Amino acid sequence: MRRFFAWVDDRTGIAKLTREALFESVPGGARWRYVWGSTLSFAIMVQFITGIFLWMAYSPSATTAWESVYFIQNEMTLGWLLRGIHHWTAQIMVILLVLHLVQVVIDSAYRAPREFNFWFGVILLFITLAISLTGYLLPWDQKGFWATKVATNLAGIIPFIGDDLQKIIVGGSDYGHHTLTRFFALHAGVLPGALVALVVVHIYLFRRHGITEAKPATRASALYYWSLLGFVFGTLTILAFVFEDATKQWVPRSICGVFLAIAARIFFLVFRGKDDDSAARPKRDGMFWPDQILKDAIACVAVMAAVLFFVFRQGTGLTPPADPSQPYNAARPDWYFMSLFQMLKFSAFEGAVGLVIGAIVVPSTLVTALFLMPLIGKSKTGHWINVTMLYGLIGGFLILTAMGFNHDANDAEYKQGVANAHTEADRLKELISIKGGIPPEGALTLVYEDPKIRGARLYAAHCSSCHPHGGKDGMGGEVKEPSAPDLKGVGSKEWIAGLLDHEGYVGPKYFGNTKFRKGKMADHLLDLDMLPEEIEAVSAALAYEAKVYGYSTPEGGQELIDSGFDLMFEDLECSDCHGIDGEDEGSGPSLTGYMSRDWMVRFIGDPTHDDFYGKKNDRMPSFLVAMQEDGNMSDGELSREEVELIVGWLREEWPRADGKVR
Amino acid sequence: MNEEETENFVPDKKPDPQPKETERREFIAKAVSIVAGGAIVSIPIGTGLATLVAPLFKEGQGGVKIRLASVEDLPLGGPPKLYQVVAERTDAWTKYPEKPLGSVFLRRKQGGEIEAFNSSCPHAGCSVGYRSKEDEYYCPCHESIFNLDGSRGDPCVSPRGLDSLEVDEERLGEGDVWVTFRNFAAGIEEKKAI
Ligand code: HEC
Ligand code: HEC
Repeated sequence: MRRFFAWVDDRTGIAKLTREALFESVPGGARWRYVWGSTLSFAIMVQFITGIFLWMAYSPSATTAWESVYFIQNEMTLGWLLRGIHHWTAQIMVILLVLHLVQVVIDSAYRAPREFNFWFGVILLFITLAISLTGYLLPWDQKGFWATKVATNLAGIIPFIGDDLQKIIVGGSDYGHHTLTRFFALHAGVLPGALVALVVVHIYLFRRHGITEAKPATRASALYYWSLLGFVFGTLTILAFVFEDATKQWVPRSICGVFLAIAARIFFLVFRGKDDDSAARPKRDGMFWPDQILKDAIACVAVMAAVLFFVFRQGTGLTPPADPSQPYNAARPDWYFMSLFQMLKFSAFEGAVGLVIGAIVVPSTLVTALFLMPLIGKSKTGHWINVTMLYGLIGGFLILTAMGFNHDANDAEYKQGVANAHTEADRLKELISIKGGIPPEGALTLVYEDPKIRGARLYAAHCSSCHPHGGKDGMGGEVKEPSAPDLKGVGSKEWIAGLLDHEGYVGPKYFGNTKFRKGKMADHLLDLDMLPEEIEAVSAALAYEAKVYGYSTPEGGQELIDSGFDLMFEDLECSDCHGIDGEDEGSGPSLTGYMSRDWMVRFIGDPTHDDFYGKKNDRMPSFLVAMQEDGNMSDGELSREEVELIVGWLREEWPRADGKVR
Repeated sequence: MNEEETENFVPDKKPDPQPKETERREFIAKAVSIVAGGAIVSIPIGTGLATLVAPLFKEGQGGVKIRLASVEDLPLGGPPKLYQVVAERTDAWTKYPEKPLGSVFLRRKQGGEIEAFNSSCPHAGCSVGYRSKEDEYYCPCHESIFNLDGSRGDPCVSPRGLDSLEVDEERLGEGDVWVTFRNFAAGIEEKKAI
């Protein structure tokens, strides 16, 4: 065995290499502030490992990307954990990068001879951001799709080359298969390759120059370091509390906790510092192994713990599949681009020129400033300029980000969009389990064929300008001026009973906002002043015609229904004006099969038909082209299929887990 | 710097008063680093490997029961006929409405009994054909012959005879041939469903 190792070592020099790697001396002793580089390396490693395993299950095309991610998330053994770790490590990596940068700048580790390493580091920062940006699209869900659309459109405004650049990135002028294949190749091939190459150079250079010894840890320098940390967390705490409703409760609390801990440390330094041992750290050198590695390992454990915390606590979302025809008004970039997104809302960046300034000139100026830091920082003042600049940048970043989230938290439309994405995603999950899988054409077809999702969308788009649905637009949004009956529960016994009551009929829930408030029917109802028993019987009879989902024979049984029909034909004289039970005649809309699927489809198709409102029709548009003699209708503003979907949604007839549709 | 030095690393600036203590602390530091490092690295690797080997623990989709013919289609004592098996099938997330899964030889023996064979060769999975002149099954890939009852003929490099499939007796009584279609592992002696 020994000889084998000796042989391997002889041919490869591995022992020397490991020795050099491990037994590097750390001047001034191991320090917590040196851990950021190692935690970053660890995070990169985690991303490579989880990324490669995800790669084994991911399929980049417009009809399989979402589907394969869905499968990873919901069906594959531990797939949710794999994806969760990958997702959340990516988020935390950004934070670690910033902390690393802060540490380097504070310790002026960018000074000669380490300028190049600083520049490589900054490039690494941007490669990481690019990997995140490309990764955001890969699930091909609504959130990633629309956010990426915004990002690539921004690339499109770069003067002169923008248009072509955008086409190259997107793989054409439309988003599709090739957008995904390109993004995936960038995300999993080109960019990580560049990342690895640069990390190797970065670490090589770092080893070449050795660690930059932080100023010997005197009380003053510790005070300086801790008060900077205190500044960051202090700002964060203030922001978190100012915008408390913007975030979940535990966010401001935990930030505040960290701040208090830092404050306690500062307090300790100031008042007990004189006899504080740790402030007068022994100046002896430490060893990379195990002194520094122990600290690194503990920091990495903390990183992993944070990642797992988020995986279990927040989960890893997947909004419905990308749909270019269904704008997603909750599209937002990932949080670390939120500040840029928010900045573009300022009036200073209005218009085409403003956009170029806000999205290109300002960011590139900041990047240039970052690159110039090693040159600026040559002198003591320069160093102070750098530190101030960095904190200004971080402060600005934090404030803008908080503003962005705060805006969203108070934006009803945004919140509704997020809520709808959740309900639709849950519904889709249910549908997939009902159908036992996803059709080869992709999950979007399931969305398009589902009355519950699609019917609501169509209703919101085509009907809610006049008809509310439970007071909302069908998708939880507000309706401005309802001017037609509220169709929630349409065709149910309760809904019909409400209509038959005169108060109700002329009220806002039914015909109060139409010209029929003063129509024949209203007059008739006023004259009749029906008894509750009569309303009960007639609504039972009409609900029997409608038979919406959840219909069951009423308590009074078939007798009640029959008595309802009798009343309509005789005492109440309904049949004078309405066709009932196939006997079509009269000035009022036919009540034969009232609010049944067929009645509704025909009505929505053409309410001006003589079976319905005829010439008296108020404003209700004909959504299909006029009914022919044989009752056929061709597609108009909507297709027949779409009308069926709306009707299915109104009648609540959609596939359910128990197999029932109707 | 040589290994000796590093191993007994003693701070160079001031002599350590308690070398034993330092040694112990160093040992604990090393142990903790290795354990902690190993633990956190094993989380992503372990999760990834779990997803990777998960197929080992998943049941196959089992057989598909399907009607292939009516009894009358098969002449008594006549030659075998080949039927394509088309059925719904899921592939990871995709559910295919109808997808060809393979094909089956059906033959009604003299006694009226119905015999069904998966047409996939148990040797390497090629498609076995029927030669009417010789009245035998023949696999063109490696020139193997199977007798009409499915047993190995001569020559035959396949480790086992053709794989028979289950025929639903009850439905036969109603005049329909229902077969439970399955695929079996190729290249081994044992007939193992996959
Ligand atoms: C421009 C306003 C307007 C729009 C848009 C509109 N409707 Fe109507 N709708 C009316 C009015 C007004 C009535 C009252 C009857 C009439 O005038 O025909 C009505 C009546 C109805 C009725 C039956 C009457 C009742 O008892 O409530 C149904 C069902 C209906 N609409 C469904 C729809 C659907 C579904 C859509 C969308 C595809 C839609 N409407 C779009 C104005 C509108
Ligand atoms: C005098 C003729 C007349 C009588 C009698 C009459 N209706 Fe009507 N009814 C109408 C007219 C006309 C409308 C259309 C609205 C309008 O023009 O006022 C209507 C509308 C309706 C509607 C709403 C249709 C829709 O679009 O949802 C229902 C339901 C209804 N009537 C039920 C009845 C019942 C039940 C009775 C018996 C109690 C009855 N009507 C008696 C003329 C009449």
